[in-house]
Amino acid sequence: MRMIKPVSLAVLLYVAAVCVGSPAIAGDSSDTMRVGDMQYGNGLDPRGWTPMMMTDPDGMSWLHAGMLRTPSGALYPYPNSAGEKAAAGSDWSHWGLLQLGYLHAGGDSNAEFFRQYSDWKNGAVLGLFALGFDNRKTGSYVEFRASRISGDDQYYRLRAGRYGSYKVEAFYRDMPHVVSTDSYPIWNGVGTSNLTLPAGLTPGGSTVAAVQAASRNAPRRNVGLVRTREGLSIEGTLYRNWIGYASVTNEKRNGDRLWGGPMFFNFAFPDTGSAYGGNGGVMETVRPIDFSTTDVNLGLRNVGKVWHFNAVYTGSFFRDHKSYLDYQNPFLITNVVGLPNAGPVTNGEFSLEPDNDYHNLRLELSRELKWRGELSLAAAYGTMRQNDNLLPPINCTGNLGFSGGPFQQIIPCADWNTPAALSETSSHARIDTGLFDAKITFHPSNAFGWHADLRYYKEDNKTRYLAYNPITGQYGYISENGSQGSVVPGEVGIFDTGYYSTSNVQIANVPFGYTDTLFELGGDWNIGPKNTLNLVYTFDHNEPKHRERTRLDEQRVKLSWINKSLGNATLRGSIEYGDRTGGPYNSDPYAQFYSESLPGYVPANGIAPTAFTVDAMRKYDMSDRKETKARLILLYPLGLSSTVSGTFYGTRDQYDAQLGRQNTSTTGFTGEWDWQPSPTTNGSVYIGVESTHLTLANVADNEALIDLPGSQDPSFGGPLYPLENYWQDLDSERDYNAGINFSHDFGQVRLDLSWNYTQSLSKLNYNYASPGALTHPEVVPLLGDDAFPNNHYRTSTFDVGLSFPVAQNVGVRLFGRYQSGSFLDWHYLGFDDTLSYDHRIYTDEGPQMHYRASLIGAMLTLKL
Amino acid sequence: MMLRSLFLLPVAMILAWAVAAPARAQKADAPAAGAAPATFVDLREQPVVAGNAQAGAGKAAVCAACHGAKGVAIAPNFPNLAGQSATYLYVQLKEFKQGERSDPVMTGQAAPLSDDDMRDLASYYASLPLKPSGHADANSRGAQLYLAGDPAQGIPPCQGCHGSTALGPQPYRSGAPQPPWVTFPRLRGQSALYVTKQLGDYKSGARAGSSNTQVMLGVAQTLSDDDVQVVSVYLDAL
Repeated sequence: MRMIKPVSLAVLLYVAAVCVGSPAIAGDSSDTMRVGDMQYGNGLDPRGWTPMMMTDPDGMSWLHAGMLRTPSGALYPYPNSAGEKAAAGSDWSHWGLLQLGYLHAGGDSNAEFFRQYSDWKNGAVLGLFALGFDNRKTGSYVEFRASRISGDDQYYRLRAGRYGSYKVEAFYRDMPHVVSTDSYPIWNGVGTSNLTLPAGLTPGGSTVAAVQAASRNAPRRNVGLVRTREGLSIEGTLYRNWIGYASVTNEKRNGDRLWGGPMFFNFAFPDTGSAYGGNGGVMETVRPIDFSTTDVNLGLRNVGKVWHFNAVYTGSFFRDHKSYLDYQNPFLITNVVGLPNAGPVTNGEFSLEPDNDYHNLRLELSRELKWRGELSLAAAYGTMRQNDNLLPPINCTGNLGFSGGPFQQIIPCADWNTPAALSETSSHARIDTGLFDAKITFHPSNAFGWHADLRYYKEDNKTRYLAYNPITGQYGYISENGSQGSVVPGEVGIFDTGYYSTSNVQIANVPFGYTDTLFELGGDWNIGPKNTLNLVYTFDHNEPKHRERTRLDEQRVKLSWINKSLGNATLRGSIEYGDRTGGPYNSDPYAQFYSESLPGYVPANGIAPTAFTVDAMRKYDMSDRKETKARLILLYPLGLSSTVSGTFYGTRDQYDAQLGRQNTSTTGFTGEWDWQPSPTTNGSVYIGVESTHLTLANVADNEALIDLPGSQDPSFGGPLYPLENYWQDLDSERDYNAGINFSHDFGQVRLDLSWNYTQSLSKLNYNYASPGALTHPEVVPLLGDDAFPNNHYRTSTFDVGLSFPVAQNVGVRLFGRYQSGSFLDWHYLGFDDTLSYDHRIYTDEGPQMHYRASLIGAMLTLKL
Repeated sequence: MMLRSLFLLPVAMILAWAVAAPARAQKADAPAAGAAPATFVDLREQPVVAGNAQAGAGKAAVCAACHGAKGVAIAPNFPNLAGQSATYLYVQLKEFKQGERSDPVMTGQAAPLSDDDMRDLASYYASLPLKPSGHADANSRGAQLYLAGDPAQGIPPCQGCHGSTALGPQPYRSGAPQPPWVTFPRLRGQSALYVTKQLGDYKSGARAGSSNTQVMLGVAQTLSDDDVQVVSVYLDAL
């Protein structure tokens, strides 16, 4: 394994500290769309504007030679030279650039992390085509930008308008997203809604060896999708100070991604030596992605001298053109009582995301007040609706389940594989939201200001769906396409007053919602010319619906301090403390949504239903919590042309939970040195380190006690949740990133160099009170150091570019990229040997553990 | 391979730095050296100029023909030099000599001057007492433009660079990069005819040979003919 040795890194940092500086980050910030993409770029040029970023050799200002700094001390970047050419006798001028060239990717160029968001291919590319026209007299402009790496990785944008009057924009772009380049799905029909088994495999009846052979013979393929976005927006003055704006954006996502495929548990059924293996089934399938999302934005605003007004309607419409995923199951499913099953479980089915609509209307009004004050009022109403057709609970034919003796568990598919088996053919799901926000601010003097804010928000979930089959008169939903009911007596997923009268299953949706009221009071003090204090108090009162608590109260205090007394340095610090408490905690507020609430429910063996969960469990968003945050930022101008900055930050969360999330912490540091000695030279060095920890605890239930006396007891330390089944894990992660960037224009040749490094290390430690806490107590002798193997992710990317002119207005750019990386995740260990284990079949072999890929290119640049 | 590539980075940076160093040095020296005629002079790092005023007095006989024996011009088409910034005067002589600024008379007069001559002459005229104050109308449109500008038209206040009393700038204390204050002229008492002519030259681009003229080009573009007239009259009477 190659690693960046600390010594090497130190040398790099030292050398860089001597001779390099920061790039002048001057992105294309000419506009912001109200709907659409803010940033246009691709793997070739993430900024999307770099070839146009030729710094003006005349510097920042004719008034002074040096660089100005922001109020906090950071250097402003050197301005770019527009390079505009005026037409004789016309008020119009133009600028433009065409960059065409050839790319060649080498090495492990198919590595997942190398091409995750870039469709690198060998061949011609359009680096950038940019053309703009400006009218200095009228303020009118037209601008076009385009870049194309491939048909799946490209963008085009047209903007036009007149400053102070109107602007329009139209764009189109394709963005690839590779999910896996090492996938071996055994099914035919990948990318569609119907995954069928290849020849040689029998649905619901294949041998383990046949499945393993199918996996071995499956061809390697990529899994991923392409986002295609297109949009149109317009904004302009309608009358005096009234400005209207409208935009529509449509995004299509097409492709596939890795998905699941359950056929009940497999871990509980060890292989008995049968050619058909154990029982149940766990499959990693591939699902189709065929989404479109249309966003609409309509607004009207008025910016007067005293009053400001804004009204905006936002609509979002999601459509999934694939409503289901059917996948054939190769494994033999048998029941645990030894009866013959009525039929093989051959198919699984997922209902994919339903179509849904979102509407929101927001009104904002603000007015200037005395003492440099302002009153701001905002109100909004929103509604989210989903009423897509519902799929039947199962898609089998014939019968499933088993019958014999006391076990009369036949599932007649015809009673469940039709929409007539549903209480409603569509869900009528709806959530309405309401918002009111009033804020007032005053700055009666330069030394003092204060503000107060009152905000009310409500999320009202009106969805009421009852899982009831009018054909059979039964409640609930056949779980996992009938597989669970084909294995375990009683566990079909449904309730009735007969055979299933002891089944406690979910029969209705839980209409989660909440109301939130927030009050904030804050003040600013300028204590002399070099110190500023800011103190903000917030009280947040939340009333969740159908949750473990009916009330949550959180108080927060944040103190911020800005100090400029350390020479030219600016020191900014803040500390924040939050304390969340609430009403009594009910670990099971969901009984009304389960069949235990229905008449006719009979407790199994005369015992109340099995406890929903352990009573000591505290969900992390509902538990008492004490939170502390601190941040210290130091920015120090080093000479006239460089800046050193450092940020230290940390967060500590302590949850009052015996079980559940107990604490989290984050500690980090970022440091940067920026250097801009002249318009022709800049460089930077940065480093970032962050460490996070999370501790959570839980208790394994005593499976042997299900439906027996004591199983109804939710108490921690009781028979169902004994103390000896307690376990705890500590999730630790350390992330590093570093980089060096340098560019210099020698007059005839421009050199760009950069090196960027990212590393992430994670570790999961655990401890447990006794082997009873484990799903497989028998593996205790194999557990050495109470930790899973370490995971890591690491990439190192080195870029070099050389640009030089070959004729007037014609230049050449040569560049190269060398990226290496390594990846280790123990979840993927062993997949190099096989992707098939008993009744488990996996598809993704995982990212390459080591890769080295390169990219070289030559571009011809024409100034237009 | 990876480590080798990484070590190439600092090597390349050092090479880049080494090659860049002479280029930087040459650029910094260029304005001060003045050996070769140029069409543009960057005054943003212009140092304060010092000379021998006494020696300058001995070299000023020809100058007095137009600019007066005591530096107060004999006719309104010539600028008053008495009490002017020595650095400003030196820079102007140098621009006449090098060609960044041209005038039928001054181009020829500056041509034979040595650098010491220019420094001495500049110091001499800077040491002379100012022309006596006039009686400018503080409520006039010209006064308003000079002191406050006209934000609606994008006209900046002249006093920002030329001082509230037109006796030169009054720099503020700041760690930020400073404009070359000493190269900005004192305008108090200059004739309206002369100021009008200069603003016209800035606006038309006829006077465009230095970084300072680039500033004035932007300012002059915002001024109408009436604006130029009222400001010139105000300064004349100041």
